[in-house]
Amino acid sequence: MDWSNTELYQLTTAIGTSASFAWLPSTRPFLQASRGNTMMQNIYQNPTGFAQQNALDKRVKISVKGWQNATRQDLVSFVSRKTRIGIVDSTVEGNLVVGFVNSQTEAQSLLNWNGVRFAGNALKFEILGSGTGDAGTSKTIVLLKSFLFKRYSPQAKMLDLGNLRNDPDLATNGLFSSQTTQSKIFPAMMKLASKESQLVVESVNLSDNELRDLNMISCLAQTYPNLKNLCLANNQISRFRALEVWKNKFKHLRELLMMNNPITAEPLYQSEILRLFPRLVILDNVVVRDEAKLQQVFSIPMKLQQFFFENNELGQSSLEFVSNFLTLWDTNRSQLMPLYTPQSQFSVAVDSSVPASSVPNADQNPTFGYYLPLSRNLTKVSSERTKQQRLAMGQEDIDKIFKSIPKTKHFLQEQASSYSLEAFSYAQVQGFTITLHGYFDEVAHPDVDANKSTSNSAGGRNRRFNHGHANTTNKLTRKSFDRTWVIVPSQGTVIIASDLLNIRSYVDGSWIPQQQVQEPLVQGQSPAPPLGPQPVQPMPPAPLQPVVPGAPATAMPAAPLTLPAEVQAKLNPIQLDLLNRLHQQTKLNAEFTYMLADQSGWNFDVAMKGFQESVNNIPREAFV
Amino acid sequence: MNNQSQAVDGFIKKVFAFLDEKNSQQLAPFLQCFDPANSKIIVNANPFAQPAVFLETWQRAVVQTQHVLTGLDYHVIPGTGTTICSVNGKVRFDESGRDKEGQDSAITEITGAGNAGVGPRAPAAKPRPLWGPYFGISLQIVLDDRVFNGDHNCVIHSFNYTTVYKPDDSLMSV
Repeated sequence: MDWSNTELYQLTTAIGTSASFAWLPSTRPFLQASRGNTMMQNIYQNPTGFAQQNALDKRVKISVKGWQNATRQDLVSFVSRKTRIGIVDSTVEGNLVVGFVNSQTEAQSLLNWNGVRFAGNALKFEILGSGTGDAGTSKTIVLLKSFLFKRYSPQAKMLDLGNLRNDPDLATNGLFSSQTTQSKIFPAMMKLASKESQLVVESVNLSDNELRDLNMISCLAQTYPNLKNLCLANNQISRFRALEVWKNKFKHLRELLMMNNPITAEPLYQSEILRLFPRLVILDNVVVRDEAKLQQVFSIPMKLQQFFFENNELGQSSLEFVSNFLTLWDTNRSQLMPLYTPQSQFSVAVDSSVPASSVPNADQNPTFGYYLPLSRNLTKVSSERTKQQRLAMGQEDIDKIFKSIPKTKHFLQEQASSYSLEAFSYAQVQGFTITLHGYFDEVAHPDVDANKSTSNSAGGRNRRFNHGHANTTNKLTRKSFDRTWVIVPSQGTVIIASDLLNIRSYVDGSWIPQQQVQEPLVQGQSPAPPLGPQPVQPMPPAPLQPVVPGAPATAMPAAPLTLPAEVQAKLNPIQLDLLNRLHQQTKLNAEFTYMLADQSGWNFDVAMKGFQESVNNIPREAFV
Repeated sequence: MNNQSQAVDGFIKKVFAFLDEKNSQQLAPFLQCFDPANSKIIVNANPFAQPAVFLETWQRAVVQTQHVLTGLDYHVIPGTGTTICSVNGKVRFDESGRDKEGQDSAITEITGAGNAGVGPRAPAAKPRPLWGPYFGISLQIVLDDRVFNGDHNCVIHSFNYTTVYKPDDSLMSV
């Protein structure tokens, strides 16, 4: 019986389905296991012993009362027949039959059979053992986790996974006992590593692992797609085909070491490797690409900025204008009318192209039902009459189109980083243009549905869109947009000469830094109070506050311990108290405190002992 | 009217074609489209003082591109002799690692006689671009009304080009 194989399988499936593994309580079986399981201490103190014990661990000890009118064998056969649950290794202890069932699940279902009649008596089942079916999984997790931290160097940002086979910890625990176990241990390790935010890894060493291909380690590319340095030296990799799984992966790999692999003798070795890793600069300690040139080829000198203003004054006034305009646009569009003159023009264009799925948060299935009858996208509209009709000139026309556009909510104040703006002068109109890129939520259907504007005269018949036209296409969603205003200052206020609105599928703006986590929007917030009849001037300056993308806050205050809310919710007060005491004593950060408590079976003394023994191996960033 | 929107559409497509042009010899007519004295050029919120500087930078430091027009609208601003266009499109970059000249960053090191059979890449074979995923762009362009008569000389008064979305699997950094 190869226990570790099964355990690893459970581990991979358990982790695979758990959304937030780093904070373990979300994997409930794990937490249950660690609470009541005294075996945890055994691994901690006696790692060699637990491999053998483990096969038995999964079994659950049960007892049966009320069987005395028959033999033990009859009882076991009866239970097996009746409940389809086998009791093994059963013995008679006084008036009890004591035995084992295969798992906690089986033990639980056996309890449902309490009171079943057997040989004239009602049987009573009880669970004696406290082990659970997932105990082994959690042990393996703990083992691999501590192994990962042991092999991680925070200074070098390196994960040293060299020579795994001869690692004493892994070997003694039988993790390399068979071929199948070996093939699973690395994926399991990678899955664990990917959930550990503390493991900031730029370099991975996989030398001396007797690798013939990348099958076992191919998942490295999922865990560390931005890896910079990789060492595969002293392996048996001999064929290019083995490397193909990493094509288009590791786009930031800068250095690769492949010494002492048969593949390095191939004539096309260097060119093939260059083809596979587009940003590789150093191969086997030789510079193979000119880094400056590489940098130049893969970047655009015009670095993307969030804002451009021709001068500061224009910056201030255009931010005010946009902010005031959109406030009214969201709340009461007709109040915008004083800004338009009989010669002002407005039109909407729909860009219905769907962004690539690799664009962050791109809406792959946008609906433009309300806008399409208004759209003046000249690449799509061919009829001249339509082009003319869809250009609104003068307040009356403009107001009509405004009423046909879904009601919206922009998030200029709450989510300033989601908007980008350029403003510069426009000499010919003696004014300037402001272009805003960003997004809005559609919060309500428009006052006028442009799809229906032609249908009423015929009493509902003769509709233009009578072929499967359904209102379901008009669902309200989030959209991205680009809007350009041509503004002319005039007598202390401004007028809008031209207003061009482009609606497109929602995407995250390219100016938003990638690592920045999208905060949830505050939906319930009441909009800013509407402005007076002369909207542009009177509003006090409400400048945008561009959010500076800070590093994700990881630092934990020294005391008291702050745990993520979802973790805290799953802990009982005793556990919380234990965590706090451990934290005070050890100065470990929240996650490590939790790990320590967890590994020691929530026993303070065991935890402190374990901490003192391993204090020298704990990485620096484990401490606050 | 018909001529008007066709003229705008035609001109924008011409601008995209110039941006995608690999051969620097072909760019002189593009430079002539810009108003040399007063045109404002903003690319990804970076201003360029001179059209020539922009075109030179684009030619030298940006790899080959391919633009697709996805949205176009325009307003003729009465009494100014100018028209403002709002353009949306998508663009992809040659991610083969070669610049417009076909130069890549690999250090061609001849490692002795063993390499003789392979040799450097034959220069005769024209390398084909390896197109990456599409980026989204938004372009606002102010044109002189002379563009409606087919006159493309000095008609670009301002040119505001912004990348509005980017795929995260591209090698390019913007």
